[in-house]
Amino acid sequence: MAIAVVSGKGGAGKTSFSASLVLSRRGVTAVDADVEEPNLALLLGNPPMATMNATIPTPQVVDDLCARCGTCSRTCRFGAVFSFGQAPPVFNSLCHGCGACVLACPRGALYQVDRPVGVIGRGVAGDAILVEGRLLVGNPNPVPVIHRAIEVGLAEGRDAVIDSPPGAACPMMAAVREADAVILVTEPTPFGRADAEVAAQVLVELGKPTALVVNRSGILEEDPPLGGILGTLPELARISFSRRVAEGYAVGVPPSAVNPSWAMAAESAWRWVMEVTG
Amino acid sequence: MNPLEIAVVSGKGGTGKTTVSSALAAALKGDCVLCDADVNVPDLWILLRPRILEREDFMGQEKAEMRRHLCEGCGRCAAACRFDAIWLEDGEVRLDRRRCEGCGACAVVCPTGAISLSPSIQGDVFRSETDLGPFWHARLHPGGENSGRLVQLLRDRARKTGRELGKRWVLVDGPPGVACPAASAITGCQLALAVTEPSRSGLHDLRRLGELASRLRVPMAVVLNRSDLSEEGAQAVRRACDEMGWPLLAEIPFDQEIARDLAMARIPSAPLAKAIQAIKEGMEDLLGEDAVEEGE
Repeated sequence: MAIAVVSGKGGAGKTSFSASLVLSRRGVTAVDADVEEPNLALLLGNPPMATMNATIPTPQVVDDLCARCGTCSRTCRFGAVFSFGQAPPVFNSLCHGCGACVLACPRGALYQVDRPVGVIGRGVAGDAILVEGRLLVGNPNPVPVIHRAIEVGLAEGRDAVIDSPPGAACPMMAAVREADAVILVTEPTPFGRADAEVAAQVLVELGKPTALVVNRSGILEEDPPLGGILGTLPELARISFSRRVAEGYAVGVPPSAVNPSWAMAAESAWRWVMEVTG
Repeated sequence: MNPLEIAVVSGKGGTGKTTVSSALAAALKGDCVLCDADVNVPDLWILLRPRILEREDFMGQEKAEMRRHLCEGCGRCAAACRFDAIWLEDGEVRLDRRRCEGCGACAVVCPTGAISLSPSIQGDVFRSETDLGPFWHARLHPGGENSGRLVQLLRDRARKTGRELGKRWVLVDGPPGVACPAASAITGCQLALAVTEPSRSGLHDLRRLGELASRLRVPMAVVLNRSDLSEEGAQAVRRACDEMGWPLLAEIPFDQEIARDLAMARIPSAPLAKAIQAIKEGMEDLLGEDAVEEGE
């Protein structure tokens, strides 16, 4: 079983809640799929990790076969192939690894090799296994690294917690693709609400069972109500803002170690996931 | 003359980009154009209460489209697709446009011309007026591509507005992360203003952002938000700034008043007054006419 933790807005508490979920169960796999900014390891004791590359196929040219016809650069829809005059084509980091140029080349002059775009780390954090995806800075597309991290994490064959990237675009969609249930962490501010609504729309459309955890409750005397689509989702827990939690987080102490309401929220989340996944 | 473009970015989400952007815009009132480049989950509108003057469709990446009557079910398209967007089911080709990256490999291999690529509307682009000045923003349809192209489009429009109206600054409220949208928000700016927090993750992500900015040859300066949450963390950020040559323009202590203002959708200008003044002065030092002369 796999649970994804998402938020819409960044900094709402995804990683804190993911760590709490991991620490409240024995023997789960923690997958850090926020590959642009992987931070889950920092809350799980920063264990040493064995690494391997996450790659995408990238084109290469066989000079002698290339007729300089320019079909490859006309075929590429990502601006990743340049060909001018008598020079062989040049490929840049905008390449999505789709292979369209290779398929289109009339002389069969192109082939593909694996190019690293990220690093997958695997470490042991207590009784949990941590699998981390990390985009190499300078590569525009995090999605292949997200898919690879999740694939490696799920191959461990344990229940998995997937710490997802913020937003509600393709990186988040990639992170929830294999999830059986999704926890949406939000905060009772206009920003948290607006961003969580966007994420909730996507999740409902994808048919993912989704429940809410409200973090930093009590900024105002009374939390404003969560209307609209958020009002239709089950609310598992409301966690008050705590300066001690924030201070602990800063130095890598997971919130559930400082404040019991995080551990309790994680417990109710696991119970809910068991219910909806049967 | 082109306005000076400042991208407010962070790496890690939730460090206070929109907070700093809005208060900085209030301090530059009358002399800046605003642009929300966090097109996936835009938030600046909540504080700016824009009056929308114009709306247009944003046409996203083209995606594959089937002409069923031409399809013979050979499945070459499914074999060519690297994104699991096309597959064969009971001899019939199935296409999921949400997974389609629009590469066109399927159309290249289709022997009967049954697949073409067609554009799709991926969101709305807005030109608005606010109390703080002109504002370009957008809304992507949920689940759509997180488009660097849309970020570029907004920035082009904002720059043009700035030039036409003779504004000195364009303020870009950026997305989190270091991938395509963040790179699009930073590329070509005169300054990346990184908002961070004194946590290990804040610093970790700040370093990745610094690497991106340096690859894009954009100078970076830092604002340390919630600076008193961890003295150890704050020291680490100060040391990193020193080491990497990132000017640390301001430190903002944790303040319930800021959180309350934001929860009520108000720009926290009063509690941020001192910090914003320091950021403004820092920007002038780095980018103002004196700085340019010294540079020459």
